[in-house]
Amino acid sequence: MNVHTYEKVWLIGAMVLIVGFIVTITYGSVGLGIAMVDDSEETIEPSELDEDERFADPRVEQVGENEYEAYVVAQTFIFQPDPIEVPAGSEVTFYVTSPDVIHSFSIVGTNVNTMVIPGEVAAMTVEFDEPGEYGVVCNEYCGSGHHTMEGELHVVPDEEFDMTELSVEADDEVETGDEATIEVEVENRMLEALETTVALEIGDETLEEDVTIDGGEAETTTFTIDSADLGEGDHDWTVTVDDYEDSGTLTVADELEEDDDE
Amino acid sequence: MTMSNAYIDDFPAEAKLVRTAFYSSFLALALGGVFGIIQTLHRTGYYRFIDSADYYTVLTAHGVFLVISFTIFFLVGVFTWAITTSLDRGVEDLRFSWGWYGLMATGITLSGVAILAGFTDATDISASVLFTFYAPLQAHPMFYLGLVLFVVGTWLAGADWFRSWWAWKQENPDSRIPLPTFMVLTTMLMWYIATLGVAAAILLFLLPWSLGLVDSVNPLLTRTLFWFFGHPVVYFWLMPAYMMWYVLLPKVSGGKLFSDPLARVVFVLFLILSVPTGIHHQYLDPGIAEGFKFIAMTNTMFLLLPSLLTAFTVVASMEHGARQRGGEGYFGWLTALPWRDPVFTGMALAGLMFAAAGFSGMINAGMNINYLVHNTFWVVGHFHLTVGTAVALTFMAVTYWFLPQITGRALWSRSVALGQVVLWFVGMTFMSNAMHRGGLLGVPRRTAEPQYDGFEFEAAVGSMGELQAQIALGGILLTLSLVLFFANVFGTALNGRSDELPANEYAGTLSGPEDAPLVLDNLKLWTAIAVVLVIFAYTFPLLSIVDRGGLFGPDINPLPVSLETVHLLAFVLESHVTGTLESIAWLGVNR
Amino acid sequence: MRISKAGLLVVLALLAPLLVELRTVLSWVNVELTVLETAVVGAVLVVVILVWAFLPENGDGKTTEGDVSSEN
Repeated sequence: MNVHTYEKVWLIGAMVLIVGFIVTITYGSVGLGIAMVDDSEETIEPSELDEDERFADPRVEQVGENEYEAYVVAQTFIFQPDPIEVPAGSEVTFYVTSPDVIHSFSIVGTNVNTMVIPGEVAAMTVEFDEPGEYGVVCNEYCGSGHHTMEGELHVVPDEEFDMTELSVEADDEVETGDEATIEVEVENRMLEALETTVALEIGDETLEEDVTIDGGEAETTTFTIDSADLGEGDHDWTVTVDDYEDSGTLTVADELEEDDDE
Repeated sequence: MTMSNAYIDDFPAEAKLVRTAFYSSFLALALGGVFGIIQTLHRTGYYRFIDSADYYTVLTAHGVFLVISFTIFFLVGVFTWAITTSLDRGVEDLRFSWGWYGLMATGITLSGVAILAGFTDATDISASVLFTFYAPLQAHPMFYLGLVLFVVGTWLAGADWFRSWWAWKQENPDSRIPLPTFMVLTTMLMWYIATLGVAAAILLFLLPWSLGLVDSVNPLLTRTLFWFFGHPVVYFWLMPAYMMWYVLLPKVSGGKLFSDPLARVVFVLFLILSVPTGIHHQYLDPGIAEGFKFIAMTNTMFLLLPSLLTAFTVVASMEHGARQRGGEGYFGWLTALPWRDPVFTGMALAGLMFAAAGFSGMINAGMNINYLVHNTFWVVGHFHLTVGTAVALTFMAVTYWFLPQITGRALWSRSVALGQVVLWFVGMTFMSNAMHRGGLLGVPRRTAEPQYDGFEFEAAVGSMGELQAQIALGGILLTLSLVLFFANVFGTALNGRSDELPANEYAGTLSGPEDAPLVLDNLKLWTAIAVVLVIFAYTFPLLSIVDRGGLFGPDINPLPVSLETVHLLAFVLESHVTGTLESIAWLGVNR
Repeated sequence: MRISKAGLLVVLALLAPLLVELRTVLSWVNVELTVLETAVVGAVLVVVILVWAFLPENGDGKTTEGDVSSEN
């Protein structure tokens, strides 16, 4: 076959280019460790996500000292959880699935980008070096409200990051002279123990109790208040644990209306 | 009574068929263009008169009408011209030819009606599933049925052209396949293999599912079958444009095709490499092993070779033409090219844009860098350069050559035609540049309103507002360009019959088929290699997907294939396929 | 004219990609042009090209290739 010299040179150049591309991509995969989303995750029944231990309650979990897992559900037309909160400088593995149609999970301005296919779980491990707030979009058409499907990812400074959950159970009304109780449950979903102070402000009083909560555990602190000290009327209270706060109102009355207790 | 030697003089009946195919194509182009400007103005926020939910119906219509009907109707017209002209014989049976045209027209009408019905609540028919129709998004059965009829129509068209070639071969047993016919046949062989994927997706899964015969589908499986077809279909759009660059561009440049053998090598490479690459659209799909993605990536990279070869041949042929016209110097020859001719200038600008598209395509093909651009506006910028310019602009440019040939009437205005192709180039420059840049900021494709409540896209250069303005400006220029195009189509149709038309001739060659090794014409061999490569690239991914998710969705697990085996084989195949491709590439060239 | 009208049209069209890419390229060397500034640069380039194209050739013997008529 008669091939012109220039064309031979061009052909060799083209082959060098092609092989060069393949080499750089292989280096990116093997050398830099940019792995592709693959088939390492088991399949999942899309209609039964609410019975799945990972996806029934979409959330972030700590699984190692600097390792977190985020279980994300993308569905028409929201992401759960929203916002997703993770610490800077840690390894975060996102597991994303869909109960309905094909979506994507794409963190704007980063290379975190994966298709979300019902029946499959996409897994991607990434590390965010700097704190910041990112948008999350679905970039695969998923129906008439596709353009409204968005979420947020908050990367918070490592030292400010915690996974504390505060829930308060408090009496609404007590009769003058009775004791009112406010039960504060603090859950520490991190692996390390949490040392903190549970504080209750009610009326002019401030009650405080130091607690140490082991990783993965919850502690309940019960505050008992003598209603006589407060006096008749409405009293606002606030429970504070680190940056978390809950508040409500306690009513102290001379005589409770029995009708309410049917 | 006419003195000319135009196509319509030699093949009046076939000219009518080609004309009808072209007019069908132009109707789709007009519809697609109207939906294009609506969505450009809606998406950029300049003018929103439809509900954002209807945007996706507009987008489906824009996609299907332009990349299915516009491109493929034009293709069947060009291919019919190529077969009849290069074999110098009419079609074997005109009724059969009109039969496949009728099937295609019926099919696309059914699909089109299903899509457009989405605008009205009067019926519950709709098909706002976009060109990719990913399940579990479901369209009305009429949409799927229409696509099937359309594709079957193209299969019969291919059969028609093979029939012509077989009949010709009986009479010319020792002749080489004429180059245009060779291009048609190899392209159709590729198309037969490629459409098996979409046929399986629709006939086995989506159509029965939309009719309620089966309850569920495996979304990853139908998606993979779609891309089995979805990547080679882009070469199906491109091959008629390539054919024009090889057989018409050298002619209008004033010279000859540089090399017939290398043109054959290029089309053979497209035949064998187009299909086993589809998984590169699924780099970010969960449920497909990295090894399979790697195979698709290497195949894709080798697919750069025929395009790079084409770039050389096309430029070399143009230079040869320019020097025949008196051009001199290293670059001075450029000024000797026939820039006044819209057929030439349109194709040259389309080729230039295709070079740019090649660069963004290399980025897309890069497996790990794909994370950055996958499903962003970047991809839309990319394919508006490929199918939207390399293909569409070439088709419009050669229309100015074809119209006189198939209507027997002189072109209405060469100046308007020149303005039209230049305007398309400028409009697409603005639009595509902003799309690429937007994509790098993370702006998604396929969305009615790329504005979000929780965050804003941050532009590195300029601002989002400027990018939007640039897209709107580009869209308006492109629409104007289309108006000029249709002015010429109508103006030409209204012209009187001319008897001073140029003859129906295509380019000769500097290095002719006698320099091409005989093995290049062995279509059975290349088809066999293509099939083997497809089997290598797809058997295990498909088995693995079915094994994981079931044929009809995650409930069922009918095929017991061990996943460990699949992984191992993937890596063995990986090196094997790469090796094979390299030897094929060299085989074609070194003989 | 030093160039055919059609040639001039194509040269002017080629300015479009040059100008839109210019902003990106200049930003790599920390020169950030606004849209207006880019438009001004574009207008200047158009004028320069037009002046060049319409200047009569002086027969300095160097630019004969620009003279080839592009009619076919």
